[in-house]
Amino acid sequence: MADVNITVDGKAVKTPAGTLLIEACKSVGIEVPSFCYYPNLSLQGACRMCLVKVEKMPKLQTACTTVVAEGMIVTTDSDEIRQARKGMVELLLGNHPLDCPVCDAGGECELQDMTFSYGAAESKYIEPKNHREEQQWSPVVFFDRPRCILCYRCVRVCNEGMDVAALGVQNRGVSSIIAPNNEDHLECEECGMCIDICPVGALTSGSYRYKTRPWEMNHVGTVCTHCGDGCKTTLGVRRADTGMEIVRGDNRDKSGINNDFLCIKGRYAFDFANHQDRLTQPLIRKNGQLTPATWEEAFELIGKKFSAIREKDGGQAIGVIGSNHTTNEENYLLQKFARVVLGSNNIDHHRTADFPAFAAALRGRANATASMRDVYNAPAVLLIGNDPTEKHPLLAWQIRSNVRLHRSRLYVVNSQPIKLRRQAAGFQLIPAGAEGAFAAFLAGEDAALASLGGSKDGWTALRDKLKTEENLVIVFGSELREGDITALVKFGSAVPGAKFLALADYANSRGAADMGLYPDLLPGYLPVAEAGKFHQEWGGIPSAPGLSLPEMAESAKAGKLKALYVVGANPIARFGIDPFVFSKSFVVVQDMFLTETAVIADVVLPAANAYEKSGSVTNTSGDLQLVKKAGEVTGTKGDFEMIVRIADAMGFDVRQLVPFGRGTRADMGQTRGAQSGEADRHAVWLEANGLELKMSPFDPMAILDEIQRLVPGYNISRLALLSGNDQQTNFAASGPAVAQKPELIVPAADGLFRSGTLGRYSHTLHSVMENKDRQPSEEVAAD
Amino acid sequence: MAILKDIAAIAKGMSITFGEMFKPTQVENYPDGPGPFKGAKFQERFRGAHVLQRDENGLEKCVACFLCAAACPSNCIYIEAAENTEEHRVSGAERYAKVYDIDYNRCIFCGYCVEACPTDAITHGHGFELASFNASNLVYRKEQMLAPQPAHLGANSIFNQAEVEGGTPSLPAQGA
Repeated sequence: MADVNITVDGKAVKTPAGTLLIEACKSVGIEVPSFCYYPNLSLQGACRMCLVKVEKMPKLQTACTTVVAEGMIVTTDSDEIRQARKGMVELLLGNHPLDCPVCDAGGECELQDMTFSYGAAESKYIEPKNHREEQQWSPVVFFDRPRCILCYRCVRVCNEGMDVAALGVQNRGVSSIIAPNNEDHLECEECGMCIDICPVGALTSGSYRYKTRPWEMNHVGTVCTHCGDGCKTTLGVRRADTGMEIVRGDNRDKSGINNDFLCIKGRYAFDFANHQDRLTQPLIRKNGQLTPATWEEAFELIGKKFSAIREKDGGQAIGVIGSNHTTNEENYLLQKFARVVLGSNNIDHHRTADFPAFAAALRGRANATASMRDVYNAPAVLLIGNDPTEKHPLLAWQIRSNVRLHRSRLYVVNSQPIKLRRQAAGFQLIPAGAEGAFAAFLAGEDAALASLGGSKDGWTALRDKLKTEENLVIVFGSELREGDITALVKFGSAVPGAKFLALADYANSRGAADMGLYPDLLPGYLPVAEAGKFHQEWGGIPSAPGLSLPEMAESAKAGKLKALYVVGANPIARFGIDPFVFSKSFVVVQDMFLTETAVIADVVLPAANAYEKSGSVTNTSGDLQLVKKAGEVTGTKGDFEMIVRIADAMGFDVRQLVPFGRGTRADMGQTRGAQSGEADRHAVWLEANGLELKMSPFDPMAILDEIQRLVPGYNISRLALLSGNDQQTNFAASGPAVAQKPELIVPAADGLFRSGTLGRYSHTLHSVMENKDRQPSEEVAAD
Repeated sequence: MAILKDIAAIAKGMSITFGEMFKPTQVENYPDGPGPFKGAKFQERFRGAHVLQRDENGLEKCVACFLCAAACPSNCIYIEAAENTEEHRVSGAERYAKVYDIDYNRCIFCGYCVEACPTDAITHGHGFELASFNASNLVYRKEQMLAPQPAHLGANSIFNQAEVEGGTPSLPAQGA
């Protein structure tokens, strides 16, 4: 649209036609206060705080509902305006209790800020305030009615943003009240968006309730460790007896790919970290019992055993199972450890998508992978399989927002009537398991129609329509494997600007695949059998493909696998393996809890989770992000450190495993006190340029250097990564990969309220009643 | 004449000496005086060890808003908050301080915490005998700083002393 010229407080502003006045002011750094206005939600015009003077208009106008017009002359601050706003604050405070010292929003309350700005703190009313008892709407949502200022933000975000409509308005006018649509409680996705968006303390969080205050916490921006979407979450942490306790999660600073969106898992389900069953000291099996031991004892035993087995039976007698939740650096280090230190290609992980086939299909194609941001901006989205509302809440949010705000066209092809069909321009129900046939049909194989059902004309019309969609983003679930993906990519190459997104279930499933946790693939999907840069760099790694996860169990059953090293995975429960097959093997497990796999181990090492370490993770769409250490539980160690210590205990020169000790020596100056900011900025600069000190073998940044140097697609901007931005990796330079058995892919089957082992130990996820309503009662075990 | 001048000077000097002999003593009888302060006297405004006040119902005034900790320039106040329940009511509002520690190793007795307190819960008392042979004794817990239960609720200073020495939190009074 054409630009419009307006004048705001004497400043000339050029802004696209159709822009709201409040946004136009914001674009030149003039803040117009508002309660009810929230970007990307529908307009309300309820709070009357954004009143501004527009020349030639008789009364003050609400900037949030006024659209800019050519030649408009606007004043945002004058005595008249201040008087009007002060009056509004005074009215709002008429019945608002002054219990700020107790209120959880105190210190980050917009009404507090406004009262400070406009000075309407004294009340002219002499009538007593109309008190109502606080209500609990769900385990995680509390409502204090007198504090509510009726901005309707919560109602709008629940209806428009989440498409849940659990909140509504009762009565009209001055007697309006916000209330759940389901009598006295919420029946919803328990995302907590209403709490975050509430400008005052009317809606407060059940898990953060009265625990601390905003300025008492340290706020650490990191990445959620539950599903594969990679939402940025800011964790509030506080010193506790056992280290640093995570008190709350939110993303109010709107950084990251998720803006301010978080689902129940990201917002509340960090509580597994403080679960009472958390392991805090190493356990060694003595006389058949797992007994507490020291770290030295544990590493010495593991080192001795692994060395002895490697010497006697060779590396192929040791199996390694990696995790979907550990960082890229840890995954990379783990497979390097297996291949270089143990001399074994027996490394695998719990696969939830066929990334090797995906990488092979997109090899050599630049700009072919869609990021989470692309899903929000694309003019059209095709979704095949999966149920993002349940399994990929951010993806569902991006799609919903895209349809709502950009009028994008969504096409859904699914075997279930998933909720996203409500946003779809076209929805096709297909028989279960026919997703592959649909991909084949798209690629031009009309014979596949037989298994799709429905009329041929309808399907052909859909295909023709899709072919005309420019910049189509094609999102597909793990139902598509191997040849299906190739067929889909073949179809996509005929659509101009088409991009692809494969959905995997865990926080770092994509990273685990990219980092080569495969028995036959090195990082970047390079086959182990082919001589390449990794063979040159590492020297003498075995080139015969190793054993996959089920094959390791078979091998152990046959007595050939003498040792198993499991890092943050639970293969016994996930693959239903008989635990007795490992009774003769030496099993080492690194985990947070005594899982089904940990109980059969000979040594259990208490591990830190992703909220308690640094590194990077890659979400399902390939967006690389930095995770930062937020919490801490005394007595645990990060997986990175444990892998290095085991290598050390085996007598291996860890310098060959982790390239530490490099970098320029620099005077870091004072790290505390008045000058600390300067030293910090200096450190950021050094780190961004790869010059930071890597003096410790436990420094994941040293491995990130190697990943960036060796893994194709990971050579992204370090500065952008360290600034907390997401950086997209790609498959353009990936290896040719090797065809994988499709049956090795086992989807996690976690819904919105389940998250494998992490979910099992989360009180909050168990406390919401939707968890019990919607899911099978048996807990899904996973890694 | 000179001698007369000298005698006059001596007489003048001694008159002050003898005059003072009959005036009441100005020296405080610390530490042999009566009362909890052993004879030491203070101005009202003296800022000594903190006292956490109770309201007229014997409930703690502190609602654990953390404003004192935020105002504290030496970062010596540590609080853990908890929610009052029907059965276990400690303060008048929804929240109370489960843990309230002041580290007198760090405290500079500036009084900012008292100024910041929205409920007048924390005040400076006149306690000044804080010296200790062990620095860890200088971290005062809530129980050491709490004011005694009000007298009309059956408590007295001796009773409170036993509470302090016993190290157990005082039971909240039910009702008025």
